[in-house]
Amino acid sequence: MKRQVFSVCLALAMGAALCGCTGGEARKTVQFFAMDTTMSVTVYGEQAQAGTAAVQQAVNGLEAALSATRAESEIYALNAAAGMGAVPLSQDAQAVLTLAGAVSAATDGAFDCTISPIMVAWGFPTESRHVPTEGTLAALLPLVDWREVAISGDMAFLPAGMAVDLGAIAKGYAGEKCAQTLVDMGINSALLDLGGNITGVGGHSDGSPWRVAVKDPNAPAEEVLCVISLLNQTASTSGGYQRYFTEDGVTYHHIIDPATGYPAEHGLLSVTVISSNGGQADALSTACFVMGEEKALALWRDPAGLPAEFELILCCEDGRVVVTEGLESSLAFKGEANGYTCEIARR
Amino acid sequence: MGIPVKSRGADWLRPTLWDGVVIAAVVAAAVLLLLALRPAGGGDLRAVVTLDGAVIAQYDLSSPSQPARTWVDCPYPLLIEAEQGRIRICESECPGGDCVHTGWVSRAGGQIVCLPNRLVISLSAAAGTQDGVDAVTG
Repeated sequence: MKRQVFSVCLALAMGAALCGCTGGEARKTVQFFAMDTTMSVTVYGEQAQAGTAAVQQAVNGLEAALSATRAESEIYALNAAAGMGAVPLSQDAQAVLTLAGAVSAATDGAFDCTISPIMVAWGFPTESRHVPTEGTLAALLPLVDWREVAISGDMAFLPAGMAVDLGAIAKGYAGEKCAQTLVDMGINSALLDLGGNITGVGGHSDGSPWRVAVKDPNAPAEEVLCVISLLNQTASTSGGYQRYFTEDGVTYHHIIDPATGYPAEHGLLSVTVISSNGGQADALSTACFVMGEEKALALWRDPAGLPAEFELILCCEDGRVVVTEGLESSLAFKGEANGYTCEIARR
Repeated sequence: MGIPVKSRGADWLRPTLWDGVVIAAVVAAAVLLLLALRPAGGGDLRAVVTLDGAVIAQYDLSSPSQPARTWVDCPYPLLIEAEQGRIRICESECPGGDCVHTGWVSRAGGQIVCLPNRLVISLSAAAGTQDGVDAVTG
């Protein structure tokens, strides 16, 4: 009799394990619009519901502080007071502006959060895209200089005519900030997609890393260049294919070179940055696109002045996909079928 | 010549035909339960259209059908075209036109977003995304 009881228990255990394969793990996914983009947040575990709510609340709070277009935001107030006086900043706004300054310094201004007047001249923030006159750009370029953003304690000041836009760094910062919020709640498995900035909190519940595809810039809706593994990191991508317009037969994209005021054309189709620092990953993807392959790799080899190390995936116009060696063992290259070749960059 | 020793424990653990029958029955029941709980239409490609978070349309892209063209009444009216295996926004009065630039989408996990309208078209399949990816950057 004992033997039969033992057999039944063994069989029930096997059956339960088999049924477990259907994915009984608690999980919650929410999609919402914030920071002028679409966001998707998935949290796993018993606190999934509370976790997604906490992320949404944190993102909304950051948007309220960092938006350049919402009249109640700190950055809006900073821009409105340009040339007149200093304005107080929250810890988050200070942190993002300080990080923006560090990335600007490390990239010799290839990333510059004061490029806002130029972006407005091109009509990207207002969705009235057009080519500004050379005279307009020449008049506005002197207003683009990250070194003029003065931060003292919790106060910040901008010279007259200048304006800050944190759109190229805030989503990455938000990803890292939300990840910390989840960790503080005891959540160790979540995936945040904040407008294409992907932040992994831990990995899958079995400990395996998240698998993140990088879009093929020549066929972004359908094809992928590669698939990378992500554990407690953020992957951010910038490419000219994301937002553009055509005027008089010429296509102009939205990544503007702060040195010229025109769309950056330095041989790259897209740049993906992977880093434990989400804000840095976001800002560097723009900066490295502006810098081009050679300077981007030089920065990767010597990231002095940046708060965290990072890895790169550079999709070049000539069909080469340059991957830095830190990704070599975990990256699955998918670009052969579309004519790409993969190169590993070493230090 | 000694007497062969027979362990009571070894005798107790030796499986019999009935043990096998019990194990097979429970495993079979588990497999049946797994099949019953499987999402319907395994491998089916579906597109869900949301406007400001609310589902306004769904398309079954896996079965042969005539192309469907649907105007959506939203802040900037747009035209969705769906046919077997793929979907796109072919016209839009939105200012940037990024949603039209996206073109056809046919892979599970793919998305078309019209930010000015807060409209999202998401493709999914019961079999999950191709390559088993969790997210896409770009």
